Amino acid sequence: MKEYIPTIGLEVHVELKSKSKMFSPAPNQYGGRANYNTTVVDLGYPGTLPWLNREVVSIGLRACKVLNCTITRRMHFDRKNYFYPDNPKNYQITQSRTPIGRNGFLEIEVDGTFKKVEIEEMHIEEDTCKSMHKGDVSLLDFNRAGVPLIEIVTKPCLSSSEEAMAYLETLRRTLFYASISDCKMEEGSMRCDANISIREVGSNQLGTKIEVKNIGSIHNVGLSIEKEIERQKACLERGEILREETRRFDDNLGETVLMRVKETGNDYRYFPEPDIPFVEVTDDMVEEALFSMEMLPKERKEIYLSRGISSVNVEKLLQNKELSDYLNTYIDTDLDFVVGSNLLLGDISSFLNRTHQTLKDTLLTKEKFQALVFKISTKELSSRNVKDILDDLMETEEDMDAIISKKGIENISDTTYLEETIRKILLENVSSVEDYKNGKDRAVKYLMGQIMKETKGKANPSMANEMLLKELSKQ
Amino acid sequence: MEDKLPKEEVLHVADLARIAVTEEELETYQVQLKKMLDEVDKIKEVKNYDEEMLICPWDHEASLRSDEVGEVLSNQEVLQNAPSHTGNFIEVPVMINE
Repeated sequence: MKEYIPTIGLEVHVELKSKSKMFSPAPNQYGGRANYNTTVVDLGYPGTLPWLNREVVSIGLRACKVLNCTITRRMHFDRKNYFYPDNPKNYQITQSRTPIGRNGFLEIEVDGTFKKVEIEEMHIEEDTCKSMHKGDVSLLDFNRAGVPLIEIVTKPCLSSSEEAMAYLETLRRTLFYASISDCKMEEGSMRCDANISIREVGSNQLGTKIEVKNIGSIHNVGLSIEKEIERQKACLERGEILREETRRFDDNLGETVLMRVKETGNDYRYFPEPDIPFVEVTDDMVEEALFSMEMLPKERKEIYLSRGISSVNVEKLLQNKELSDYLNTYIDTDLDFVVGSNLLLGDISSFLNRTHQTLKDTLLTKEKFQALVFKISTKELSSRNVKDILDDLMETEEDMDAIISKKGIENISDTTYLEETIRKILLENVSSVEDYKNGKDRAVKYLMGQIMKETKGKANPSMANEMLLKELSKQ
Repeated sequence: MEDKLPKEEVLHVADLARIAVTEEELETYQVQLKKMLDEVDKIKEVKNYDEEMLICPWDHEASLRSDEVGEVLSNQEVLQNAPSHTGNFIEVPVMINE
């Protein structure tokens, strides 16, 4: 078999997080009863005019910033004409000649190697209505019609399914952290089309481009790219000539299948939208758009790693923006981030899952969290102790010391008390001390058990263990 | 210059608009569409025209709406203008055969 190189480009649509739709004041909301969130504009009634939502431009500008695109300062909209029931105007308002952003990039990491994925352009457009096909009729829900979207188009610069998936995951996280979109593929607020071609090694000419439309998950994007590469290879090996076509990924078959032949570029007869004058993007608009932007995942990762958090935990934190946001409120303090992140990802996450709450629902104050982390760092509290007091910390207004005292875990850090107890136990268990000297490690376990018994479980285990070993070495 | 469009072109345009045309209509449209295109072609004769003027003929920028939710149509209002409906959904003949 000949060797082939795949070339992949991705087109990603994301729904923007504005309160109202792109050209009408209808709510921009997912779900709800069908056809309850529409106005005459969304339904394309004759005589209606689109009125552009300022926030949509603002979110678009934020997207330009995080994807390193050059902003188009004077832009207009275009009509993309096609006849289909999902768009009763028979055109979609989009940007063809003056996309809001151009020539950007997003850095991805695959197996420790960094790559800049080049972004050709990014434009704003309106979503269409949602249609469900049943037998010989289609049922239409216009709640989605007019929801603002941005479409982000990469150059054909990806060369494997791994790169494509890494790009989508990085893009998803970046847009989510910048409050651009919810990016929920399962709800359709992020959708992906992939353009895939293969060429023989040594050839400079790109192969025939096949488009796979509307892939429903990042995993399936990877799968459809792999399947499509295999299929194209097999076709070429059989001596067939590939032709440009649109396919879709069939979940059940686990492969791509041919879709109907659609209009091609020219058939859309793009022309400028005469109902919307030019939009001038001013410096003030850019500044306003970026004013409240949160820290992006890339920068968070750098900070977390520099403060000693393991890369596994950094990844877990970034997967949960609420926890990451919370930890970020301590960036300017000397909080031990390793202990803090362990606590957030461990006991606190378990509590939140168990009680179906978010951090904001709890009574954990900044002071309590800080005090807790401090006491763990200084070994005043053991992991066992944390489990004992956590529910009270999260659910009551009592302060740290009151809870500790209530739970009877006061003397744990009293070294004199611990030293005395350990000496007493060693005197009472001479045979175990002998066993230890003879290399029987399990004697330590037994002695620890005796110490815990003597202190009614109040001794800090790691402290007691450390002190016990020190004492044994003196024997 | 040919005074009518090629048949294939008219058929292609009809297809994009999802319109069926008879042989007789085809003849008519070949001539009529050609006339329309010739009219529009006159724009090409204008020298040094401002392209932006064609995109937007008046000299002011778009006014932008603040992002506020306003009134919506009731479901009843939406459905009364639809050809037919099933429950809350607007119903139309299916247009795709995958």
